Amino acid sequence: MGEVPLLKELYAKYLDQGVAVVGISLDDELKPLQEMVASKGMSWPQIHDADQSLVKLFNVKGTPTYYLIDREGKIAAKDIPIKKLGSAIDELLKK
Amino acid sequence: MGRRTQNRLFGSAGNAASLLGFTLLLAFTIHAQNTLPDKEMDRVQAMINQSKKDAEQFSKSGGKPGDANNPNLKWSADFWKYREKHPASPATVAATVEALRLLNRADRLSELREKADTLKPDDAAWKQVFYVLMSAAAKSKDYSYLISKAEALAQTASDRDIKAQARFNIGDAYWRIKDNDRARKAFQAVVTEYPGTTYAEAAEGNLREIEFLNLGQPAPAFERTTISGDPISLGGFKGKVLVLKFWGTY
Repeated sequence: MGEVPLLKELYAKYLDQGVAVVGISLDDELKPLQEMVASKGMSWPQIHDADQSLVKLFNVKGTPTYYLIDREGKIAAKDIPIKKLGSAIDELLKK
Repeated sequence: MGRRTQNRLFGSAGNAASLLGFTLLLAFTIHAQNTLPDKEMDRVQAMINQSKKDAEQFSKSGGKPGDANNPNLKWSADFWKYREKHPASPATVAATVEALRLLNRADRLSELREKADTLKPDDAAWKQVFYVLMSAAAKSKDYSYLISKAEALAQTASDRDIKAQARFNIGDAYWRIKDNDRARKAFQAVVTEYPGTTYAEAAEGNLREIEFLNLGQPAPAFERTTISGDPISLGGFKGKVLVLKFWGTY
């Protein structure tokens, strides 16, 4: 879960700049998801995709997978590593 | 075990919680191997553990993948020797895959191909060897060997899983080099020829992705409820830059 601190940083940095984060969890059970969200202090909304319908919709092949969506709702990046997420967000915010 | 994606595929799969597509097969294989008492498997696993330690040590002391004293080369030879001395078994499969994986790690791609060429079309190791060949192809940006090997296996293998996986890999390779027409054709063949398999399911997903999930296309709309009970939809984020993170606690 080394990515969570990085994502928390991004979330805090861009919170006031019109950037939203949504977690989509593939967990079978809700409980461990709720517990981790609380214990790690993830303050962005979480969807429990127990039936994997969103996984199918976005053809997600593994976790973690990031999709970046621009202000108009268009796909700006997919399968992007978290380390490149910040600069990709910066690019979108410049537009 | 790590759940990071390795290129487009899962690199490792030790947890059956959320596996998608054809990774299920790999996970079940590993799971089955782990639950049966298998002394030979333990022996190979001990070799794998030691080879990992040696590789770490080598890398820490500044060794480069292509160096002649890369311990991965010695271990690869040992794993291959194990394969040659032992009849087919789960441990033999593991040793075979490891031998090839370490050659890839050490950038010995022609040796990797030579050894892969000695595997019979129905060798049980193929299921995982494809991952190694895909990784080698991605590294060298040369998918021609993978494609020709997979084409041959799709014809000559009698194992339905190996045939389906071969076709799937052809699609994946063409997709990676952005030959979407050939990719579509291969994925479509998987869907029609191997219905009901995990490969067919994954191929269907990839066909949808090639069609609808390209950069610049509208993200698919969804409406759900968050775990806090709030309604959430893609449309609700219009005017914002949105990061979707697919993840799991495992």
